[in-house]
Amino acid sequence: MSGFSQVVRGQAVERPPYPRSPLRYGFIPILMFAHGCAGIQSTLEPTGAEARQIATLFWVMVIGGSVVWLAVIGTLLYAARWKGEPHSAQSAGRLILWGGAIFPAVVLMALLAYALWLMPSLRPQSGEPPSAPLRIEVTGEQFWWRVSYRSKNHEASIASANEIRLPLGQRVEFVLKSSDVIHSFWIPSLGGKMDMIPGRTNRLSLLATKVGIFRGPCAEYCGTSHTLMAFYAMVMDPAAFDIWLEAQSQPSEELASDGKLRFISNGCGSCHTVHGTEATGTLGPDLTHLGSRESLAAGILPNTEEAIRRFIADPDVIKPGSKMPAFRMLPEDDLQAIASYLKGLK
Amino acid sequence: MRIIPNEMESLWTLFTAPVVWALHFLICYVSVAVYCAKSSQISFGFDVVRLGVVLVTIMALALIAMSGLLAWRQWGFGTHDPPHDDPTRHDRELFQGFATLLLSGLSFVAVIYVAMPLLFIAECSP
Amino acid sequence: MTQFADRMTRKEAKAQEERLRKVWADPSGWRYWTSVNNYQIGLWYAATAFAFMLFAGVLALMVRVQLAVPDNDFLSADLFNQAFTLHGTVMMFLFAVPIFEAVAIFLLPPMLGARELPFPRLSAFGFWSFLLGGIFVCGSIFFNAAPSSGWFMYPPLATDKEFSGIGADIWLLGLSFIEIASIAAAVELIVGILKCRAPGMRINMMPLFAWYLLVVAGMILFAFPPLIAGDILFELERMFDWPFFNPERGGDPILWQHLFWIFGHPEVYIIFLPAIALMAMIVPTFSQRPVVGYSWIVLAAVGTGFLSFGLWVHHMFTTGLPQISLAFFSAASEAVAIPTGVQIFVFIATMLAGRVIFSVPMLFGAGGLAIFVMGGLTGVMVALAPFDWQAHDTYFVVAHLHYVLIGGMLFPVIAGLYYYYPLINARMLSDRAGKLAFWLMFIGFNVAFFPMHLSGLRGMPRRVFTYPPEVGWDWLNLISTIGAFILASGILVIVVDVLRPKHREPEGESNPWNAGTLEWISEPKENWGVRSIPIIESRYPLWDQPNLMRDINKGRFYLPDAEEGRREGLVTSVLDAQPIQVLRVAGTAYVPIISAFFLGGAFVALTFHWWIATIVSAVGAFAAIVYWLWTGTAELPEKPQKHIGLGVTLPLYVSGPSSTGWWAMFITMIGDGTAFASLIFGYFFYWTIHEDFTAGSKGPGAQWPMIGFGLFAAAWIAMIYARRLNGRGFVLAMRACLMLAALLTICGSLAAVAGPLAYGMDPKSHVYPAIVWVLVLWTAVHAVLGLVMQVYCLARSLVGRLTAQHDVDLQNVVLYWHFLFVTALITFAVIGLFPRML
Repeated sequence: MSGFSQVVRGQAVERPPYPRSPLRYGFIPILMFAHGCAGIQSTLEPTGAEARQIATLFWVMVIGGSVVWLAVIGTLLYAARWKGEPHSAQSAGRLILWGGAIFPAVVLMALLAYALWLMPSLRPQSGEPPSAPLRIEVTGEQFWWRVSYRSKNHEASIASANEIRLPLGQRVEFVLKSSDVIHSFWIPSLGGKMDMIPGRTNRLSLLATKVGIFRGPCAEYCGTSHTLMAFYAMVMDPAAFDIWLEAQSQPSEELASDGKLRFISNGCGSCHTVHGTEATGTLGPDLTHLGSRESLAAGILPNTEEAIRRFIADPDVIKPGSKMPAFRMLPEDDLQAIASYLKGLK
Repeated sequence: MRIIPNEMESLWTLFTAPVVWALHFLICYVSVAVYCAKSSQISFGFDVVRLGVVLVTIMALALIAMSGLLAWRQWGFGTHDPPHDDPTRHDRELFQGFATLLLSGLSFVAVIYVAMPLLFIAECSP
Repeated sequence: MTQFADRMTRKEAKAQEERLRKVWADPSGWRYWTSVNNYQIGLWYAATAFAFMLFAGVLALMVRVQLAVPDNDFLSADLFNQAFTLHGTVMMFLFAVPIFEAVAIFLLPPMLGARELPFPRLSAFGFWSFLLGGIFVCGSIFFNAAPSSGWFMYPPLATDKEFSGIGADIWLLGLSFIEIASIAAAVELIVGILKCRAPGMRINMMPLFAWYLLVVAGMILFAFPPLIAGDILFELERMFDWPFFNPERGGDPILWQHLFWIFGHPEVYIIFLPAIALMAMIVPTFSQRPVVGYSWIVLAAVGTGFLSFGLWVHHMFTTGLPQISLAFFSAASEAVAIPTGVQIFVFIATMLAGRVIFSVPMLFGAGGLAIFVMGGLTGVMVALAPFDWQAHDTYFVVAHLHYVLIGGMLFPVIAGLYYYYPLINARMLSDRAGKLAFWLMFIGFNVAFFPMHLSGLRGMPRRVFTYPPEVGWDWLNLISTIGAFILASGILVIVVDVLRPKHREPEGESNPWNAGTLEWISEPKENWGVRSIPIIESRYPLWDQPNLMRDINKGRFYLPDAEEGRREGLVTSVLDAQPIQVLRVAGTAYVPIISAFFLGGAFVALTFHWWIATIVSAVGAFAAIVYWLWTGTAELPEKPQKHIGLGVTLPLYVSGPSSTGWWAMFITMIGDGTAFASLIFGYFFYWTIHEDFTAGSKGPGAQWPMIGFGLFAAAWIAMIYARRLNGRGFVLAMRACLMLAALLTICGSLAAVAGPLAYGMDPKSHVYPAIVWVLVLWTAVHAVLGLVMQVYCLARSLVGRLTAQHDVDLQNVVLYWHFLFVTALITFAVIGLFPRML
């Protein structure tokens, strides 16, 4: 009775076009699986520099591994079925030396060299803070993401939550932290994951090579609702990104609504911030531009008024273990008005 | 001239080469981990660590080669093929020699594997 | 060698056999459960482990049902988290490791031509501890109190009481209890393999199973103690708020990951090697020839044992460690594939050089190999850091680890079950049921786990209780769930086949597969293992030594009798297995059960913070163990030596390095030293992560640690003198030395705690005082144990059980003191001098 069955998935997202990898055809069982629906969270459809290199490494290993597997199992079956004169112990011993020791030693050494050669180039460090054009600080919290942009075009950092936007073709440095337990930050389409560890600061550098919307889950088990901690990453044209970031640095346009009053009077502002209002709490996600985000509640609900209203009323049902108290005792009017106000924060 | 007595009676000689591998591995890991953790307080560069570890690697390989050589001798320089399963002390010694030689070979390769990162990675970055 | 028996009349032979049977017989009625015989203990152990496996399997099915379709609500988030945590924990700690201990306890004595392992009561104690701890851990889920932080228990999730309830304590304390039992089993197996082989079974003659088990037991000795050290730190944080993993007060959650995986990766090989060891017995039998590449197997086992300790960080590739550090572990992880490849090719080569009879055990063996090779290949992939950055903590890894563990462990164990079942029951399991079970399991397994590779690559993380429909995982998960049920039905077939009554079937012959190794001599209806202890001249004595079985069963070899009504076996030399002693092993007793229950009670009470019950149980356990040692060890024989047949006479009492007790102490202390080394690692780990890891504290100073060291050194010297004086017969001087040593030990312990006390070091305030206190307490607790041993020796001397000739106790205690001296030296040097060197 988790209530998660009530969670409805959000609107259709634009899917990146299907990539063509010539290596794909090497391995038939995988080929069969790999067809069908595309993934917005798939390592096999890379849209980032690192993810692409790793996918190539993967396909090389799949082909090599398949050959090795077939050879070993073929030899095993041959040995089991052989009905003729038994082979001599000498020749069997030579098989151990060449097949069991020398061949793997050589092949594995080559594979190791390939991976080692790859490693330094995958995550080039952009050096100390001033040189990085864009840094995004992401802090894992149970069970959402605190996001803060630091760009050379803006003096102050720009707060957001549960969504990441990044410009196409520019290296972005992520600064990864945690406020409670270990989480792990991962956008499979762009590159590998990196843990967010309390007391430590990790860095990850990603380069997106395709415009689109991708999904990222929390990849380290972080408690009851670990499952319900995800986000969407949008790769944008650099120009569009700059415009968007500029808008994010400003408060949302004021809408004529009494939702704001009810939002404040019910104390929402003690945990949440809405820039340009009295709401300056920092315990929960920043809501300044909530209405414009792709999803709600860390990637698990569609961003609609109805979903906002439900989450305010029953966060403990929708996301067990979340720190937000339930507000189901509020009058329906209040819930509706607050939801409508928040949805309007574009 | 003999550096090591002819009698290799102990079971422990079997483990010489893998123990050298383990020590080499530990030295690689610990020296790099400490250097990277404390690099702000250390005046010399990472290349010094790399060079040091390369020297340790050469020493480890030499030790393993020596263990292999002694084992080869114990095996009668390859004149007695396996299986070494006669109920005699002689066959038991041949077995020990041959097994030690094999382990030396594996340890030799493993030491080379573990040293390979030093060729490719030249900094502490994560 | 036949004259000996020929001189006996038939009647005499019969009487002899009767005496031997009576000595080894199990008690009847409910006292049956006090048996300590290796066959009973091994069987109970295996049955219990299988029961836990079935339980964990049901949990896995619940997990699969929940994940069959997206947005499912079959299980709540919390119950799902408990289920997957318990599934992993139970499979690892209550099935995979114990089942090998069970098989080893059951098979090793007959395989080595021994009657028993050297410490049968220790086996019984291990079994009862395992049963209690296992029920405690498994039962928690019925009270909705099971651990839910994952089997790896990462802090701060698992240390913070806000995030994890009593389940975390149950995990820590319940499993610590079982880990201690595992280390006890390791000690027993090492001593058994090195010292209790039949005469003539030189190390190049040992069955390969014994080689593997020797390596595995050695690995346990180095792998489990780091986890125990981690458990100690962990429980101190949970119970007393010592901040070892709390970054706000200088701790670091990463230290737990290091300690856990230093245990956790070798653990995989601790599970895998014994299963492969079963294959190394099965393949030669069904190829009807000796194994090709005996030395290669030794290379593979020993090589894997070593290399597996250089892999642990590959579980931490995404924690942000420097790439160069990751690369070392990638390299070692690739290297470990070489000895694994060798093992597989040894089997293939043996089959090529023989004539293969394809039977159910071979079917499971070959099927397991096909699965395992695939798991090994994906292992080679995830061992490379870049690929692991993508694959880590996804279903790809779930697929990989199940391919490795089910192919490398479960299938061979089932092969072993079909192969060795006649030794349990004198009857075979059904061939048809076996084939049916195999195909259900093989197909079900691949249907269940192959799609997981793809769901993982498509970004499905592990440990999620549900998933949204449109990410492309739904039908993959549905297939996996269907496969899981096919797999489970295969296992069910085996359960039915094992449990169905077979007493109507005729008994089979005693060596139905025509195997060549010695364990096939033992008969299920006899408890003595071997009728007489043979002289071994081949790796496959049943093939190569004509009439061996007849001569053994006619009592023509060593120790065919039990004149004194005692259970007896032989101790032989390590390399060439020359007989050196007649070892009297312990018989049926209550004391192992009582000790296990008291010790288990202490752990359970501690979980619930019932302090008084904890103390009462701990005192009870202590008293029971002292009683056990006093009455059951180092007994004085009624005569110095005895004839064992074939004109050989051996002593009944030896001490020092040729005795089994000395070896047991030595091996135990190696494990103990490993735990201590892990704590020292923790100390230096904190040094590396902080600019000033002392956080400005001056404690514990250099003065008190140096005084403490001096006192410990003096106590150690006094102990050495006590042994020397005892050897020369100066009894009074020896007692005086012991008393002096005891006094010095007390003073030394006080000096040890005086340092941190004098500087007012508060272990809750910061990790530095906490780790210093842990090291000091470790040394002090060991000193208290040392003190108990000194008093014990004194008491033994006063009642005349410790004399110049009979000095086992003193020899072993002095050995303990060597280790204690090194512990004190390192502790005091580290805490007293190291902060001053900075």
